[in-house]
Formats: sequence, C-alpha cells, structure tokens
Amino acid sequence: MNVFITGASGGLGRAIAAECASRGYKLFLTDINEEGLHSLQTGLERQYGACVTTRACDITKDESVDEMLALIDASGIRFDMLFNIAGIDYEGSFLERECRSVVKIVSLNVEATLRITHAILSRRRENGAFSLVFVSSLASLYPMPLKATYAASKRFLTDFAEALRQELKSKNVKVLTLCPGGLPTTEEAISGIAAQGFWGSVTTNRLEQVAFETVEKVQKRAGLYIPGAANRTLSFLGKFLPRSVIAAIIYKRWSGAQEKWLCTESK
Amino acid sequence: MKTVVITGATSGIGLATARKFVGKGYNVIGIGHSETNCDRAKEKILSDYPEAKIIYFVANLMQLSEVKRVADELEKYITANCNGEIYALINNVGGVRSWYQTTAEGYEQQFALNHLASFMLTYRLLPYIEMALGRVIMTCSNSHKGIKMHWEDIMLKDGYNPLTAYKQSKLCNILFAEALNERYSNNGIRAYAVDPGLVNTDIGNKQTGGVVNLIWSLRKKHGVLPEIPAETYVHLCEQKTAPKGLYYYLCRERKFSREVTEENANRLFDLSEKLCGIKYRDLVVEL
Ligand SMILES: NC(=O)c1ccc[n+]([C@@H]2O[C@H](COP(=O)([O-])OP(=O)(O)OC[C@H]3O[C@@H](n4cnc5c(N)ncnc54)[C@H](OP(=O)(O)O)[C@@H]3O)[C@@H](O)[C@H]2O)c1
Repeated sequence: MNVFITGASGGLGRAIAAECASRGYKLFLTDINEEGLHSLQTGLERQYGACVTTRACDITKDESVDEMLALIDASGIRFDMLFNIAGIDYEGSFLERECRSVVKIVSLNVEATLRITHAILSRRRENGAFSLVFVSSLASLYPMPLKATYAASKRFLTDFAEALRQELKSKNVKVLTLCPGGLPTTEEAISGIAAQGFWGSVTTNRLEQVAFETVEKVQKRAGLYIPGAANRTLSFLGKFLPRSVIAAIIYKRWSGAQEKWLCTESK
Repeated sequence: MKTVVITGATSGIGLATARKFVGKGYNVIGIGHSETNCDRAKEKILSDYPEAKIIYFVANLMQLSEVKRVADELEKYITANCNGEIYALINNVGGVRSWYQTTAEGYEQQFALNHLASFMLTYRLLPYIEMALGRVIMTCSNSHKGIKMHWEDIMLKDGYNPLTAYKQSKLCNILFAEALNERYSNNGIRAYAVDPGLVNTDIGNKQTGGVVNLIWSLRKKHGVLPEIPAETYVHLCEQKTAPKGLYYYLCRERKFSREVTEENANRLFDLSEKLCGIKYRDLVVEL
C-alpha cells in the first residue's frame, strides 16, 4: 500500500503517518518543513521499521510540485492512498489581517489541495482501489465570522469532495471528508481549547482516534466523517437553523472566547 | 567543588533541589525550556545565595535534537569549567499531557519528555559522570506501581489514557535506573529513582486542559512543599559510599514495583537505544 501525505510533519500529519506506518504501509511524505519531515522519517523508521520517502515541497508553487512529481515519475511510484492534510488557519477579523495571509489560506487550503489531488489521482495504481481523504473541518459546515476565509476554504473542500466522490465512484476511488472539531496538536491549539471552556473540551477530538478511524473508514466507505458525538449533534442541530442565525450565534460566542484568549495570552 | 546537573530546574521539585545543592556548596547547572523561567530561577537562587555557582542552559528536552544540542554545549562547559566531571546528574524533567500528542519524531510526548530525554542526556553525559564516579538520579513516582509496560504499543496510540502514559513513563524511570546499575555499577557509577511523594507544583496545569487540569488543581493542594523531596536528592549525593538501594522516598529505601525486573530493564534499554539512534558503551569492568 503506497500512501501519499501532505502536511505530514504537523500534528495530524504525524498521527496519520504513524497510523499508516504501524499497518506496514509505505509512505511518501511531504511538507514545507524539511527538518520536521526528516525527524518524522527517522522516528517512523526507528519505531516501526517503516519504509518512508520524504520530499520537502511548497505545494502552493507549481514549480516546486513539478519537481516533486518528476522525482516520483523517475522512480515510477504508483499510489493507493492520498491524505490531503496541509492547511492553514489564521484567526481574526478579515480587515485586521494582512490581505496576503488571507489569500494564502485559499492558495494552500484550496488551490494546492486541487493541484496535489489531480497529480496523485493521475498517478494511482492501475486497476486498484484508491482511497482519497480531504481534511476539512467542522468549521466547513457553517459560515464562521472571525474565521471567515478559513471556514469558506474548508467549505470548498467539503462540497468538492462530495461531488468528486460521485465522479470517481465508477473508477473504484473512495472519497472521505474528515471534519474534526478542535485537535489538540499544538500548545496554541490547547490554550485555545482551554479558553473555550466547556465547549472547547466537548468539541475536542482525540488525535489518535481520529487517525485510526480515518484510515479505517476511507477503505470501507466514503462520505463525511465527523468525529465525536458532540460534534455530530452540533452539526445535526445546525441543519435546522437558518445560516444567518448560525453565523450570528457563532460571532457572539467567538468574539467572547477570543477576548478571553487574548487576555490570558498577554498575561 | 562538585558539579550537579539538574533538568527541569526552573520550577517545582527541580528548582527546590537546585537551591538545596547550592546551599550545600555544589556547583549547579540547571536546564529549563524557557529563557525567562531560567533567568527567573537563577535570580531567585542568587537572591538567597549571592555567592552561588549556578548557571542555566535552555533546551526543549522533549525534542531529541534539542537534547543533542544542549549536550554539545554542556560538554564544552563542563570540560572548560568543571574539570570534565559531573558528580551527579538529576533527571528530573517531566510533564503531563491531557491528550495524545507527539514530538517531531512522532513519539508520544510524555514518553519522550519523561523518559527518552533523560535516556539521551545520560548517554551523552556518561563519560563525565564516570570521571567523577558519580550518581544518576531519576525523579520517579510511586505511581509507577500498578502498571505494566505496554510493549506492543509503547506510545499508547491504540487507546490513549493520559494517566496510563504518565505512569508508564515513571515506570520507565526506575527501569532505566535499574539498567544503568546493571551495566555500570561495577565502574563506580550508581543510579537511583526517587519518589518525591505528592508535591504541590503546577505540573498538571501546564499544557493540559479539561479533566486532567481540573483534577490536578484539586489534588496538588494536598501536596507537600518541593523542599521536602529535595532533601532526598541531597541525601543520596552526600553519602560518601554510594547507597546500595534503588528506590528512595524521604531519604529512605522504599519498595518498588514487581515489574522492575532485569528483563524489563534490558528490554526498555534496547528499545530506547533504538528510538534514540544511539548505543551505550560497554564499559570494561575493572576488577
Ligand atoms: N508534583 C508531584 O506531585 C510529583 C509526584 C511524583 C513525581 N513527580 C515528578 O517530578 C518531576 C518534576 O515535576 P514538578 O512537579 O516539579 O513539576 P514542574 O514544577 O512543572 O517542573 C517541571 C520542570 O521541567 C521543566 N520542563 C517542562 N517541560 C520541559 C521541556 N520540554 N524541556 C525542558 N524543560 C521542561 C519545567 O520548566 P518550566 O518551569 O519552564 O515549566 C520545570 O522546570 C517530574 O518528573 C514529575 O513527573 C512530581
């Protein structure tokens, strides 16, 4: 089983990579962070005796991706699985952000994901089953003030994946969209979860469990995967409210939580 | 003047221990992971002991690359300023997590910080400890009892429980001390595991959330001041002939878990060597 993972050296990337390595899959890992890739490769080799190839690549750049693809083509690797994990998120109101960083969200979360998906689908193993995972977010289910661009970029992925799933059904490709709530991957993420108090805790997903379930599920059935009972309930209840009302509720809650968070940060 | 290296020496048990050693006239080298906390700790100690020989090095010991970097710096410093001798290495650094989180290598963080960091640092500093016929002391915990090593899933990826991960990492501490004694006690090096008891520190409130944070906030109130366990480290170092025990609580030997066997100690040692990509030297036994 040959697996391609983007954003591999981040928290979720490392967890998915470890999950795949523990199953004996062969890994092709990419990320913009070369040092992180190298450490992860070493760790997976030592821990699981895994077969790992890494290549640092800025997937928002055509040339950088082309170089990586040339490397893949030179060795003739064909893939059975793709995890689109690379993505960024900046918090804050639209106008307080630099335009560049807002646009960057779309170029990584959307454009780069399309670029990689196209490239790796074209290099899938012939006549085999293929598993394709998009890491979207619970944020993709609603319009999200103060996370507007991020949520919309993830909305793109959720909808795109659902449509692509139909197109690829007959080609033996399964498409899974993962929509996690909070993931405790960084110190920052953890203080963010803490700042949201009770709701932060209940919407937080366990990383190792999400990694396990995602790898399991994409090989069995396709569709939407929302980990955690609280998150599933929220998303279900959300269907009954008009989107404008949801946006207003979220704005109220978030601006409060953010104030609290900024206060504790500056302490 | 004898040199003591203490990891996690910026707060809690490590800081109290550093202060005790300074008071006894030792040359103390502390390691912490934030420059601000290192500076603050140093100031605190200097305000009580203006003549103190105390220096701090900054490193995030959770990452193996950082352990290596700080070991390089320590080697230079110890060669130039401490006669190339370390009389005691106190592997005290430790942390608690609420969730499964990994290091850059993909290793579970409590295992990496509470055990592998010490395993790696001891490996690098062993030649200097040997020069002083010194001692290695781990901050263990009585919570190492009532648990077995999860050999098939050492990072507890398949069903993570934060408390299990913590307890296992503390079992690793005492197993590591046992393995060091098996290998190097004939060379005059001696290793110990200290149970500090329940101590009022902020360990469970750092980088944690949810239940773990809450429980620790309630629990720590019943803990003793960190100056109490600090005595045990000084006691173990002040004895002229190295005490023969393995596990100490309040300066006395204490019974440890039945899981502390030669077999488990060796198994952990081999696994840790593999995960760190190192091989401890076989010291020649001089009879
Ligand atoms: N408290 C108890 O009841 C208890 C009981 C049994 C065993 N223990 C053990 O005692 C040891 C010390 O714990 P404590 O209670 O004194 O907690 P603490 O006050 O939090 O001390 C931990 C020390 O380690 C440092 N540290 C944390 N993460 C680090 C990293 N990644 N790199 C470098 N340094 C790092 C901390 O630095 P900062 O100051 O910057 O945070 C601090 O100096 C631990 O091994 C713990 O398992 C404690």
